Amino acid sequence: MDTQNDAPPPKQQPMIYICGECHKENEIKARDPIRCRECGYRIMYKKRTKRCILLYVWLPCFIFIC
Amino acid sequence: MDDLVAELGASTPEQLAAPVNTVEEKWRLLPAFLKVKGLVKQHIDSFNYFINVEIKKIMKANEKITSDADPMWYLKYLNIYVGTPDVEESFNVTRPVSPHECRLRDMTYSAPITVDIEYTRGSQRIIRNALPVGRMPIMLRSSNCVLTGKTPAEFAKLNECPLDPGGYFIVKGVEKVILIQEQLSKNRIIVEADRKGTVGASVTSSTHEKKSRTNITVKQGRFYLKHNTLSEDIPIAIIFKAMGVESDQEIVQMIGTEEHVMAAFAPSLEECQKAQIFTQMQALKYLGNKVRRQRMWGGPKKTKMEEARELLATTILAHVPVKEFNFRSKCIYTAVMVRRVILAQGDNKVDDRDYYGNKRLELAGQLLSLLFEDLFKKFNSELKKIADQVIPKQRAAQFDVVKHMRQDQITNGMVNAISTGNWSLKRFKMDRQGVTQVLSRLSYISALGMMTRISSQFEKTRKVSGPRSLQPSQWGMLCPSDTPEGEACGLVKNLALMTHITTDMEDGPIIKLAGNLGVEDVNLLCGEELSYPNVFLVFLNGNILGVIRDHQKLVYTFRLMRRAGYINEFVSISTNLTDRCVYISSDGGRLCRPYIIVKKQTPAVTEKHMEELAQGYRNFEDFLHESLVEYLDVNEENDCNIALYEQTINKDTTHLEIEPFTLLGVCAGLIPYPHHNQSPRNTYQCAMGKQAMGTIGYNQRNRIDTLMYLLAYPQRPMVKTKTIELIEFEKLPAGQNATVAVMSYSGYDIEDALVLNKASLDRGFGRCLVYKNAKCTLKRYTNQTFDKVMGPMLDAATHKPIWRHEILDADGICSPGEKVENKQVLVNKSMPTVTQTPLEGSSVPQQPQYKDVPVTYKGATDSYIEKVMISSNAEDAFLIKILLRQTRRPEIGDKFSSRHGQKGVCGLIVPQEDMPFCDSGICPDIIMNPHGYPSRMTVGKLIELLAGKAGVLDGRFHYGTAFGGSKVKDVCEDLIRYGYNYLGKDYVTSGITGEPLEAYIYFGPVYYQKLKHMVLDKMHARARGPRAVLTRQPTEGRSRDGGLRLGEMERDCLIGYGASMLLLERLMISSDAFEVDVCGQCGLLGYSGWCHYCKSSCHVSSLRIPYACKLLFQELQSMNIIPRLKLSKYNE
Repeated sequence: MDTQNDAPPPKQQPMIYICGECHKENEIKARDPIRCRECGYRIMYKKRTKRCILLYVWLPCFIFIC
Repeated sequence: MDDLVAELGASTPEQLAAPVNTVEEKWRLLPAFLKVKGLVKQHIDSFNYFINVEIKKIMKANEKITSDADPMWYLKYLNIYVGTPDVEESFNVTRPVSPHECRLRDMTYSAPITVDIEYTRGSQRIIRNALPVGRMPIMLRSSNCVLTGKTPAEFAKLNECPLDPGGYFIVKGVEKVILIQEQLSKNRIIVEADRKGTVGASVTSSTHEKKSRTNITVKQGRFYLKHNTLSEDIPIAIIFKAMGVESDQEIVQMIGTEEHVMAAFAPSLEECQKAQIFTQMQALKYLGNKVRRQRMWGGPKKTKMEEARELLATTILAHVPVKEFNFRSKCIYTAVMVRRVILAQGDNKVDDRDYYGNKRLELAGQLLSLLFEDLFKKFNSELKKIADQVIPKQRAAQFDVVKHMRQDQITNGMVNAISTGNWSLKRFKMDRQGVTQVLSRLSYISALGMMTRISSQFEKTRKVSGPRSLQPSQWGMLCPSDTPEGEACGLVKNLALMTHITTDMEDGPIIKLAGNLGVEDVNLLCGEELSYPNVFLVFLNGNILGVIRDHQKLVYTFRLMRRAGYINEFVSISTNLTDRCVYISSDGGRLCRPYIIVKKQTPAVTEKHMEELAQGYRNFEDFLHESLVEYLDVNEENDCNIALYEQTINKDTTHLEIEPFTLLGVCAGLIPYPHHNQSPRNTYQCAMGKQAMGTIGYNQRNRIDTLMYLLAYPQRPMVKTKTIELIEFEKLPAGQNATVAVMSYSGYDIEDALVLNKASLDRGFGRCLVYKNAKCTLKRYTNQTFDKVMGPMLDAATHKPIWRHEILDADGICSPGEKVENKQVLVNKSMPTVTQTPLEGSSVPQQPQYKDVPVTYKGATDSYIEKVMISSNAEDAFLIKILLRQTRRPEIGDKFSSRHGQKGVCGLIVPQEDMPFCDSGICPDIIMNPHGYPSRMTVGKLIELLAGKAGVLDGRFHYGTAFGGSKVKDVCEDLIRYGYNYLGKDYVTSGITGEPLEAYIYFGPVYYQKLKHMVLDKMHARARGPRAVLTRQPTEGRSRDGGLRLGEMERDCLIGYGASMLLLERLMISSDAFEVDVCGQCGLLGYSGWCHYCKSSCHVSSLRIPYACKLLFQELQSMNIIPRLKLSKYNE
C-alpha cells in the first residue's frame, strides 16, 4: 500500500480501485481501511493495466503475403 | 398385511383382463419431488432441525447453572436462538453478509447464537434477553441462510449461483462439507454369531447422557451379561434378581415357556442357585463387587449396593427408561434379548449387520448438535467455575455473570471442528478424523457428488467383503455404481436420486396412537404373554412398547393413519414374522424413498393427477397428503410388494416404483444407456465425471479459488438423460460433443490414445481455462510495526522498473491484464525484521528494518492476471488476492474421456487435411481406436453415437435414460430417413491418399469430457537443481524441481547386469558425491589432509563417498559406535 520508494517517487498519485458492489471508483491511500465511500463495501478490485499488452501472434500466412 | 392382501386379491376376472393403464408421465413426480426434497435436502433438513429444534432441547437439558459457593446464585437459560449470518462492521455494529463475500474475504459464514437468561446479581433477579454466547457456522440454503427464498435474480445480485446445491459451510473462506456418516443403528438388538459360532445379542444404547454397549453371551450353555463397566460377565439370572425379579418362575415366564426355551435357560438358573443368590439384596451385593470403580466427583458416598442399582438403572441398557427404580421394562427387555439368543441358537437366524435397515446415517445436524452440546456444557461448567471462584471474594461490584460470558469458546470450537474435520468429544469417547472435507469444485457434478457421499465408519485396512459388497437392501437407496475404486471401494457410497434421510420426530403421539390401537403396555403384563404364539411385541425406536394381539390390524390402521396425515409421513411400521415383532421407527437417519401406492391393483396416481401436476395445481406434498404416494424406509420396503412397472402389478402388489432410473445416483445418472454397459465401466465413469472440466456455477467468474478448471466452450450433451435434466447439468455442462470416427489411424492411437483434429482444436475443442490464485495478507504486529507493500524497484541507469518488478503498479501490486512470467513479482511485500514486542527497558524503538518477502509467480508457462482483489479479513488485516489465468489448448498427453469409462490420452494431433472425411465432407474431431470396444463391452457408447448422430440430423436431443431412453430401432429409422446407413457407418475417404477406406467407418457424435489431468501440470525434467540440506541428495517431487529417482528395483537390474560404473554414476556422482579425507591407520575421517586421531598426515588419503555415507558414519560416532574404513590400493 505504500508508495515510498528507494528511488524518488515519480508522482504521488493515490491509487484508484473499483468497489465490488457499486462499481464506484475509490481513491485509497496506503494504510487506509478498504471501504467504499459510497456503499461501505469492503471488497475492491484493481483497474486494468494501462500498459499496452500486445499479443504478438506469429502468423505465417502474413509472411507469405508480404 | 394379510388384510391388505385379502382386499387386493378380491378382484374379478374382468378387472384382471383389463389392459394395464400406464401413467406415461409419472416420471414428472421426480422434478416435483426434487423441488421439495432435493438432492442435498437431507443436509439442509438436518441442519434446520438442529438450529431450530435440537438446540433448544440441548439448552433445556442444560438450562440451570448453580454454584456451590452461593446457594442463592443461579443462572437459567430461558431461550436460545440462532440468528442470520452477519459480520461485525465496527464495534457492536453488524451487517448482514453474503456467502460470496465470506468466500472472497476468507471469513466464516456464521450467525450469532443468542440466549435469554435469568440470573441473580446479589439478591436481585435479572432477566437479560438476546445475549450472544458464540457464533454458529451456517449451512448455505438452510433456514437461516440469506439465500433462502430468494429468486434467481436476487441470487445474481448476491453473486451466488442459483443452481448451487448449498448444504455446505464456509469456514475461513473455505467451503466445507460434513460428509454423511454411516453407522449401525443405536438402541436395536442385534443377534450375531462370533468367530467361534456362539450366538450373542448386543445393543448399543445411546441417550443424550450416555452411550454404552450391552452384550448377552453364552458360555457353556449359560447366559451372561457383559458390559464394560462390569469387571466380569455376570450370570443373567443374577441380573434379573438384582432388578427385582426374584422368582425363578417369573424369569422363565418372561423368557418363554416353550419346552426347548426352558431347557436352554435351565443351566443359567442353576448357576444362580449355586451362587446362593435368591434375593434382590444378595444379587445387588454380588453385582456391587463386580462394578469397576469409577472416579467419583464429590457427591455423597454410595454403598456398593446403591452403586450397583444405579448402574443397572442408568448405564446398562441405558435407553430403556427406569423411573424410580422400577425395573419392569428393563427386565422384559433383557428377557427378550435372552429369548432372541435362544431362538437364534438352533437354526442360525442371526441378524445381518450389513442390512440397511440396521443402519443409520448421521448428518451435519446430528454431528453439530453433538459438538454444540459438548461446547455448551463446557461453557456452562466454565461459568460455574468462575462463579465458584469469584463469589466468595467480597468485591465492591457484585458478581455479574454476563461479564464473564465469553463468546470465543463456542465460536472457536465450532469453527475449528469444521475446518479441521476432527470431532473429538470426550463424553461419548468419540474421536473422529476427516469428518469434513473441502467441497471439490472441479465441476458442478463433483460438487453435487460430494454432497451425496456417504462415508462408512469401517476401517479401510480390514479385509472383510461384507461391508464393501452391494447389499440387496440398498436397492433404490444408494447408487450401485458410484463408489471409488481401491481401498475405499464399497465403503464410500452415494445416495440415489430419490433417497431422503429422516430427521428425529416426536414419539409421544405415536405411543398414544399405539395404545389406542390396542397395544397393551408392557408394564402391565406378567411376562408370560410375551411368548404367546399369537401375540406380537411392539417396539418403538428399539424400546418395547407392549404387545399386540392383532398385529395385522395394527399395521394396517397405522399405515392408514399415516396416509391420512395423522402421523408424520416418515414414521415407518413393519412386521418381522420370524421374531414376531412389530417395529415402529420415528428416529432420524433412516433412508427412505417415495413410492406410488397401489390399491386394488391400480396405482393411485392417475393421468389426471399428473395433468394437474403439470399445470401446477398440485405439488409433491399434495400427492403425499392425498395418499397417492408415500415414503417407505428400508424396513418397511421389506414388508411391501413393490412393482417395478405397471404391467407387473399383481394381486399382492402394494406399491409401484415411480421410475426405475432413480436407483442410480447423480454421477451415474449422467451416463447414457448405462444399462447397456458392463457394470465396472459405469463405476469408472462415476469417478471420472468428477474430474471433468466444464462449468462450476453461474458465479464462476467472480470466484477466486485456489484452483479452478473451466472449459472455454462447454456444450450440452446430444444424448441426455432424465437425470441430466433434473440436476440441470445442461445449464452447467462439462464436456463437448465431439464427432468420433472409430477407426485406426497412424500408430499413435494404441492403448486407448486418441487422435485429435488440429482444426478442431483451433476452433476451440477442448480449450480450457486454468485459474490459480496468489494470496497475501498484510499483518499488524504487536510492536506497532506492520507489513508494507513497496512500489517497483527502479533500475539505476534506465529509471525503468527492473524485470522482476515489471508488472507492478505504483502500489506495489500487479494489475489485471498483465502477463506474468516465471519468477516475476506479483506483490512486492516487505515485512519488519523484528515483530516481537521489545522487552521492557531495552533500547528505544528505532526505525524498523524491513526485509523483502515478495509473492512471486512460479510456473513453467506464463499466466495472465485476471483480477486483483483488495480487502480486509476478519482480523482486520489487508488481504490481497490475485487471480491468474492460463488458456490451454489440448496437447499431446492431455486426458479425455467419454461418458462410458473410456478414458484416453491424446496421442497425435493431425492437420485437418490429413484427417479422413465422410461423403458429406465431415471430418472427425477425434479418431478412436476400435480396440477399445471388445474387451470393455461399452455398448452404451455405441448407442450414444447412434442416438447422437440421429439427433444431430434431426435437430433434437435424444434420451439415453437408464432402463428407457430412445430405442435403437427408432434412432436407426431416423438415420435411414436422412440417407445415412442404418447402422451408423459411413463411407470415408482417407485424407492422406485420397482413396476411400476399405471399410465403412462407425462415425458420429459422442459427448467427450476433458479431464483435469494435463501434461502441462505434470511434465518434469531436471539436469541439475536443488538438493536437500541434510543429505545433499537431489530433492524429491516435481514441486521442488526434484530429481528422477533410480529406485531399488532399477538398482537391482543394474546390479544384475553388472553395470557397476553406471551404478556408481547414478547413485553417487550424479547424486551426493563427497570428497573425504580418511586416515589409513585409524580408519577415521580426517580433515583437510590431517587425521585428528593420529595427529599425523602420513596415512591420510582422499576419496569420494556419498555424502549420506559420511553422514551415517558421523551419526554412528555420535552414538558411540566407531565405523572404521579399511583402505587398500585398488591395484594391489
